[in-house]
Amino acid sequence: MNDSKHKSTQTNKFISIIKDIYNVFMNEFRIIFKDRGVLIMFMLAPLAYPIIYGSLYKNETLVDVPVAAVDCSRSQRSGELLRHIDATQNVKIVSHYSSLTEAKKAYNDKKVSGVIFIPADFNKKLNTGEQTTVSIYCDISSFMYYRIISQACSYCVQDMSKKIQVERLNNNGITGESAAIISDPIPYEGVVLYNEGAGFASFILPAVLMLIIHQTLFFGIGMIAGTSREENRFHVLVSTSIHRGSTFRVIIGKSISYLSIYSVWSFFILEVIPHIFNLPHIGNTADILLLLLPFLLSTIFFSMTISVFMPNRETSMILFMFMSLILLFLSGVSWPQSNINGFWRAFSWIFPSTHGIQGYIKINTMGADIRHISFEYISLWVQTAIYFITATGAYYWQINKSSQKLMNEMETEIG
Amino acid sequence: MFNNLFEAIFETFKREIIRMASRPIYFFCTVVVMTFSYIFFLTFFNEGQPNKMPIGVVDFDNSAFSRQFIRNLDATQQAKVTMRLNSHREAREEMQRGNIYAFVEIKRDFSSQVISNRRPKMTFYVNDGFLISGSLLLKDITYLSAVTSAGMQQQILRAKGMDESRIKSIIQPITLDTHLIGNPWANYGTYLLNVILPSILQLMVLMMTIFPIGVELKERTSKIWLETANNSIFAAITGKLLPYTFIFTTLGIIGNILLYRYMGYPLQSSISWMFLNTFLFVLASQAIGVLLIGITPVLRDGATLAGFYGMLGVTFAGSTFPIEQMPWATRIFSDLFPIHHYFNIYVNQALNGVEIKHSVVSFVALLSFNILPLFVYYRLKKAAINQNFPIK
Repeated sequence: MNDSKHKSTQTNKFISIIKDIYNVFMNEFRIIFKDRGVLIMFMLAPLAYPIIYGSLYKNETLVDVPVAAVDCSRSQRSGELLRHIDATQNVKIVSHYSSLTEAKKAYNDKKVSGVIFIPADFNKKLNTGEQTTVSIYCDISSFMYYRIISQACSYCVQDMSKKIQVERLNNNGITGESAAIISDPIPYEGVVLYNEGAGFASFILPAVLMLIIHQTLFFGIGMIAGTSREENRFHVLVSTSIHRGSTFRVIIGKSISYLSIYSVWSFFILEVIPHIFNLPHIGNTADILLLLLPFLLSTIFFSMTISVFMPNRETSMILFMFMSLILLFLSGVSWPQSNINGFWRAFSWIFPSTHGIQGYIKINTMGADIRHISFEYISLWVQTAIYFITATGAYYWQINKSSQKLMNEMETEIG
Repeated sequence: MFNNLFEAIFETFKREIIRMASRPIYFFCTVVVMTFSYIFFLTFFNEGQPNKMPIGVVDFDNSAFSRQFIRNLDATQQAKVTMRLNSHREAREEMQRGNIYAFVEIKRDFSSQVISNRRPKMTFYVNDGFLISGSLLLKDITYLSAVTSAGMQQQILRAKGMDESRIKSIIQPITLDTHLIGNPWANYGTYLLNVILPSILQLMVLMMTIFPIGVELKERTSKIWLETANNSIFAAITGKLLPYTFIFTTLGIIGNILLYRYMGYPLQSSISWMFLNTFLFVLASQAIGVLLIGITPVLRDGATLAGFYGMLGVTFAGSTFPIEQMPWATRIFSDLFPIHHYFNIYVNQALNGVEIKHSVVSFVALLSFNILPLFVYYRLKKAAINQNFPIK
């Protein structure tokens, strides 16, 4: 008899826990949908940012970058070389000048992004079997210009170089198969993997998409907690008495509500957006889902931990918006992770975004599966555990403080 | 009358200084954030270019030739051979793990095929999912392969008894000489820091324009603010924002000095043009901030707008991906961002060192941002007096 009574109290307790969590969960939804600021963060930003960035970086690579040509040789061969360069997809010769000075003026006026200079003795040297040099001058205000112009020119120069080489070998009495061998004794081929067109969007957008999830969650949660603190209603979060158990219920109830909203957004951002904008997307969906769970949870608990210290609703946004840029670099997408020094590397492990971005790119862009990213995956679960504990501690402290304050106020009122 | 105006501005200025001392957020969002950003980015990119990135080799040949090639690979500036792998599959998996950014595959009997003139093919793979490391490694490995191939040609031609000067002109009839205008070392830090640091500065100026004004409206102290300024909204805004103009210009100039003096990044003209650029850039950003908080005199909405605008600014500066190559509407939009004009002046003066007349348009554009607050003049004044906007 005793036993069954014990059991029924346990069942009751279990039901009350579920009820508490459900109440917190529903209450959180009400808060989110009643607050325009939070709605913008949770509903508008995850919709708008991916579309805006996707459209801005729609062009994967540079097309027809305008360059000027200074052809002092004015020969058939120099003309041919320039025509070849002009015919590439990336570079377009828009003007011809008779001297470098004139071309430089056009460059300074921003009419062209590069200059190709062919010296006067170009053809003569080629005819007499000597070596000649073509010079290019590139705009390097952007990394892309330099890469595109020098790639296109070096491809065309090498191509012409090879033809002349065979001619010269023939002139030296080396013909046929042996000329072919000498002109290319060790053929080589560079194969570009996972982003075949070396596209800028394919490279940066997957990282940005994960960062959008991370940051909107962070600012949204920060805003909710800041508002609670402003209005001093942390105490409302707990239905009855203050004990540790109820803090857990608050944390779980709240995080389920964030998780449910962001499950939908994650599907949109990580599944729909890559299709719309033609981004790399060769990963296994199940693996992405596996990674997503600890990523969202650790981000939520991390944000909840920090959010408790936000005195006002706008504080986290004003103070931490700049961190979005820093997190992007810390993730090791542009500047390779192997070259980030020890201190900043350790610092980067504080944030769920680092592992989330790395893990997502490896699965989504490079087709890795979950066992290849075990480091990121385990790290995210470790973060989830740590930030769950810190969030609980922080909330416990804040709830206590808040209800203490309320008690004191009530006492003074009564007194 | 002018005396009154100056007095009003000065009184507001004094009031603002006292307010600034009352809350830590003012100190954090100015000095702390900018100092942290300077330290972060300068120590993060101190290498200039990512050197010695890990790559792998799959050496099925294992000959003197292949070992020499791998040693040469290891000696290139950008690559470091950290892994020897047994199969293509294994190498690819290490690449997916992110442990290596590229790998070279050398076939079985490679060297004996070279010697017997059977022209074996050398293949290497780079991961352009990480575009920067991928393209740098592609360049380095391609170059080394070309050099190796040329070395082979040289040997064969020598064996045929050809003299050295002719060999050179046969191996490479046309050479390509690449000049990088202004940034001869292709320093990655130069590309990025000249955009990222001003972007953060712009973001913080926006935030610290919207916050001091917005918080008066939110905490319903805006009437006192306006009264201090003798009921002139012009004096109220000027006096309030003056401390920030001073702080952010100073911080921005410290940034200029760090980049062009301490780091030695390209500077082809007088540094004072960049100082002027920074000052006008701060003013223009403040004007945008006033416009934003005037459009929506609610602190939280203002901060959201500022965050949105500030983050877009990084894109619109035009360094990461050139504006000229973006969809056409973007090119027009980019003119609405002070950072775009700041960047133009930087390219003209610091990077290319052209005559100042080329930058006049951008300087004028920066100045003209200061007209913007006029559009919200009455709206902001009414909001300050009536306090009729929601506080949350």
